[in-house]
Amino acid sequence: MKISKKLYSYYLIWPALIIYSVFFVFPALTGLYYSFTDWRLDRETIKFIGWDNFERIFTDKTLLLAIKNTCIFAVVTVLGKNILGIALAVGLNMRLKSKNILRAIFYSPSILSVLVISIVFTPMLRSEGTINKLLDTVGLHSLSQAWLTDPSIVIWTVAAVSIWQHTGFQMAIYLAGLQSISKEYYEAATIDGAGSWKSFTAITLPLLLPAININLMLTLIGGLKVFSEVFVLTGGGPGNASQVVGTIILRSFGEGSWGLGTAVNTLLFAAVTIIAIPLLIFMRRKEVSE
Amino acid sequence: MSFTRKMAWRNYLVEGFLILASLTIIFPLLIMLFGSFMTSSEVLRFSLRLPEKWIFSNYTQVFREGGLGRAFLNGLLITGVSSVLNIFTSSAASFILVRRETKWSGFLYMFFFMGLIAPMSTITTIRVVQWMGFYGSITSVILIYASLNTAFSVFLYSGFIRSIPKALDEVAFLEGANTFDVFFKIVTPLIVPVNATVAIMVFMSVWNDITIPLYFLTDSSDWTMPLSVYNFYGKYSRDWNLIFADLVLTSLPVLILYLFCQKYIVSGLTAGAVKG
Repeated sequence: MKISKKLYSYYLIWPALIIYSVFFVFPALTGLYYSFTDWRLDRETIKFIGWDNFERIFTDKTLLLAIKNTCIFAVVTVLGKNILGIALAVGLNMRLKSKNILRAIFYSPSILSVLVISIVFTPMLRSEGTINKLLDTVGLHSLSQAWLTDPSIVIWTVAAVSIWQHTGFQMAIYLAGLQSISKEYYEAATIDGAGSWKSFTAITLPLLLPAININLMLTLIGGLKVFSEVFVLTGGGPGNASQVVGTIILRSFGEGSWGLGTAVNTLLFAAVTIIAIPLLIFMRRKEVSE
Repeated sequence: MSFTRKMAWRNYLVEGFLILASLTIIFPLLIMLFGSFMTSSEVLRFSLRLPEKWIFSNYTQVFREGGLGRAFLNGLLITGVSSVLNIFTSSAASFILVRRETKWSGFLYMFFFMGLIAPMSTITTIRVVQWMGFYGSITSVILIYASLNTAFSVFLYSGFIRSIPKALDEVAFLEGANTFDVFFKIVTPLIVPVNATVAIMVFMSVWNDITIPLYFLTDSSDWTMPLSVYNFYGKYSRDWNLIFADLVLTSLPVLILYLFCQKYIVSGLTAGAVKG
């Protein structure tokens, strides 16, 4: 084993380690420190102020709303992208004539920029836009909304656009997972008299766990980090109704309240870690026991 | 017989439903595509119809006024260099991490893996780049993208390199090769498909991103296509035909890449799904 240490010398790790540490890890760690300071654009000296920034976050209405919106966005998109993603993948894993073209269609929006999709949807989501007109023509006028200007639903609209765009990506991962499940399991289940719902819950779901695991992680982390969708679709508006953590950080940066901005970032960091790591461990354990 | 007929009926039903659902994906994209060839008044209906007259000059106009040539080259430079840099550094690091099998290498793997989870700290990164004296430059953006993608690439490479038998390296070592030789002459040729996957994944995410350019590219002449589109969208907010043409042009490079490199994208996704 000593030989292997000598042979695989560490110098090939250095380039990656340096770039990753300097531009990602170091800023993240200093961010932890700065979130306890009054670091501002116009201050010469930086003072340690304890929990003041965090106290402000939890008393400021806009900041609280941003946190609430981020949670709504994350939960709604995790559920939407994964439930629809599994449904599409199961459907498109059947022997359908058009399955290849359908897979390509559902996947296609996810390769485009969030910016492109958000701009395309902006005029369609106006009060007199395409979607409301469509609802009118099919006689569902009562469902039409001020999608992007009603403060009570705007974050849901943004989440819906994100689900529309990215479900295809989750679908593709689920499809790859489904294709690794041997057909023999289903044949055996049919012989034993299991219906399709029973096969789905007893075979598909458990064997799909690695894919569910990675997809839950990806969508949850992605959801908490949301920025571009909100930035382009609403800019955080109307008023501050659709602010999320990502847009608040941009705003704090612009205002020069860097200490507060890093504190918001630290909170995001803590939330992501607290949620992601137990989920990771839990899912790993579940996978092994299946 | 009745069982297979029931299966067939169910397939038709599912297929019909999925085709209907796919229309909700196609329609908005077609509204954009058709709209990009319309006049500025015709496009304002934002409904699905073919243009009365196909106006191709929208594209040349947008290309000129949106400064897209420059933005295209900037995007190419940033995505190209950052993905090559990422491929070299991550594959070399993964090779050592996988082969050493020590506690320390296990720790380093987790250290890289954390990057998949932790959000980046934008404001302090700006300070670091400012302190190093190249804030606002394309170089800074390239290095940041290379670092942001390290975690994902190390994850992909490690999975693949683990499947290459160690015996191959050992033979080479016995013949007197050093780490460098083994990596470049034995491992690198074997991981070419993974390189393609990583290159495409990095290219797509970097090309489409607006967050990093928004924070780090202070000079509009350095902007990438999506950011210049955003700027154009603010300036020409009434000419939706031009905005749509701009969006189509920005999407074209990733669409072309997707059409020709589907195989590598699928293998990247499969790695994620199966190894979890």
